[in-house]
Amino acid sequence: MKLDCYQRTFAHSSSSLTPIQLPAHLETHLWYVKPSEVKNESLLKQYLDILSPRERENVMQMRGEELRKSALLARTLVRTTIARYQINSQINPRSLKFRKNIHGKPEVDWQFSNDSLPPPLHFNISHTSSLVACGVTVDSQIGIDVEEKHRSIKHTVLSFARRYFSKHEIQFLASITDPQVQKLEFIKLWTLKEAYVKALGKGFSGAPFKTFTIRFKEDSIHQASEIVVDSFDEPTELTSNWQFSLLELANSHYAAICTEKHAASAEGKRNVPTKLTVWKTIPFVVDECVSGTDAVKTIYG
Amino acid sequence: MASFAASPVSFSAVSCTVKPNQVSNLRRASLSFSGKSSPSRRIPALRFRVACSAKPETVCKVVDIVRKQLALPDDRDVSGESTFATLGADSLDTVEIVMGLEEEFGISVEEESAQSITTVQDAADLIEKLLEKK
Repeated sequence: MKLDCYQRTFAHSSSSLTPIQLPAHLETHLWYVKPSEVKNESLLKQYLDILSPRERENVMQMRGEELRKSALLARTLVRTTIARYQINSQINPRSLKFRKNIHGKPEVDWQFSNDSLPPPLHFNISHTSSLVACGVTVDSQIGIDVEEKHRSIKHTVLSFARRYFSKHEIQFLASITDPQVQKLEFIKLWTLKEAYVKALGKGFSGAPFKTFTIRFKEDSIHQASEIVVDSFDEPTELTSNWQFSLLELANSHYAAICTEKHAASAEGKRNVPTKLTVWKTIPFVVDECVSGTDAVKTIYG
Repeated sequence: MASFAASPVSFSAVSCTVKPNQVSNLRRASLSFSGKSSPSRRIPALRFRVACSAKPETVCKVVDIVRKQLALPDDRDVSGESTFATLGADSLDTVEIVMGLEEEFGISVEEESAQSITTVQDAADLIEKLLEKK
């Protein structure tokens, strides 16, 4: 069942989710929700109800109403999003179980009988107080990071970069004379680096920020055509395994998506552009496919 | 001979709110018997050391840095037990907090250590450990 883009789909009943096909092999799905658009108390109660007791506890421990709300929406988004991809039969978002890999990266703990293969679905979430996002792929590791474009930082861009970024990245930022542009480029670079580390799934110390460079490769006419990662520790073979997209969402946030490439051709890992579909959602209420609209601006990828 | 190695815990008035029971909270208590044991009594080589939690001033400074970084309202209660996550620190905040702590205390925190810090107390303990090494 193909979801027609530019369309708004309202849920049939207050607890239903519009089902959707798994992303294809080279496809990425991105779902996001804006906490400011979810105000209905009974809806929030409904969301709380689909969480596991542990998740509920974690949400209630957050200090402050806004933080509780975005924590609640983060877990709600993960559960409802995965449940949409009704793999074998109806999946109740409440019944999903999660576990962490050896490095602490969350993944689905599929509860199927032995004769069914678990679906090769991968997901990653990121949230700020103003936007919560969940990326989904099939057969490919994924890491995403979202950040408010105009998020304030306490240190200067360059002192921050000197502490955490690689030499090449520091040079890139230092070469930007306009401080506002420099700040925006800094945020973009941060989200890309975060997305990469999250895709690797080894935790912050598994790939310290200083040990890899993210840069924009230029094509023959000096246009930035591709985002690439160079690592001091990993051979080129492994770093060319990863591809990036960078978007501007809802005019307010940068979203970076890092996914595994697949050996697309005989020459090895040629860069085959991934298809990205983006939905804005209020789970159980409305889904809006926003790809191709002003809500999603592709910066790279 | 039992020997105690204890870092001084000062009870002087501090301007931030540190609950008294946290100050006296002994973490990882261990006693030390260094020295000779008589041949007839084979005391196994147990190494004990009494270590107290980080000084309240250290916890105080960490609290200040966290408050500023996260722009917390004055009525938001922050103590040693507070976790950065529940206070709303995301990954960018966390690295900025680490930077702030490095600047304030003149220390250098490695990524592995930074990753293991989840509470204000963890941060204060790590700071004192790094200061001790200097």
